[in-house]
Amino acid sequence: MDGTPPPPEATPPPPPPVTSGSPTEFLKNVVGKRVVVRLTSGVDYLGMFFSRLRVLSCLDGYMNIALEQTEEHVNGTVTNRYGDAFIRGNNVLYISAAEPL
Amino acid sequence: MASQILPLELIDRCIGSRIWVVMKNDREFTGTLLGFDDFVSEFLHHLLSVVGNASSFPIDMVLEDVIEYEITPKGRKSTKLAQTLLNGNNICMLVPGSDGPEQA
Repeated sequence: MDGTPPPPEATPPPPPPVTSGSPTEFLKNVVGKRVVVRLTSGVDYLGMFFSRLRVLSCLDGYMNIALEQTEEHVNGTVTNRYGDAFIRGNNVLYISAAEPL
Repeated sequence: MASQILPLELIDRCIGSRIWVVMKNDREFTGTLLGFDDFVSEFLHHLLSVVGNASSFPIDMVLEDVIEYEITPKGRKSTKLAQTLLNGNNICMLVPGSDGPEQA
């Protein structure tokens, strides 16, 4: 009808590329998977990476983690079980995938 | 004058090869380096190239085919791990291309 340009496409811009192998990509890959989280104290937490928290990343320099169906292991024996657990990142030594990614 | 290599440049060159990580406490890791912190590599790298001091920044690393070594009074205990995100806060030293204490 008139000369107005068509409205811009409604498709969202593609997400920024994530460097392959980066910590952020690792965290994306383990969402919903079982992981072992070892604290600097040597205590292990075995649990499922919380699938509802999608924005978890370590861009803030921390490794705050939410786990589901969590088992607490001390010296190889289960000492506690938690439904949901939040681990403050400053205590984390590493997060390791406990199943194939 | 010989060309300078910044610490983070050295780590960047290690991506894809074996690396030996010695922690501040009695713990060591070896693994294939898949990557390290985005934030460090993209933002701080520029900053550090100006400041020239990387030592105070933690470098979180993603490693594959990892062996964790715990040095205990009883000896060295090793644990195999799959893909692992290692917190950079407790890292003391990185040895590129090395397969760890058993090879050294």
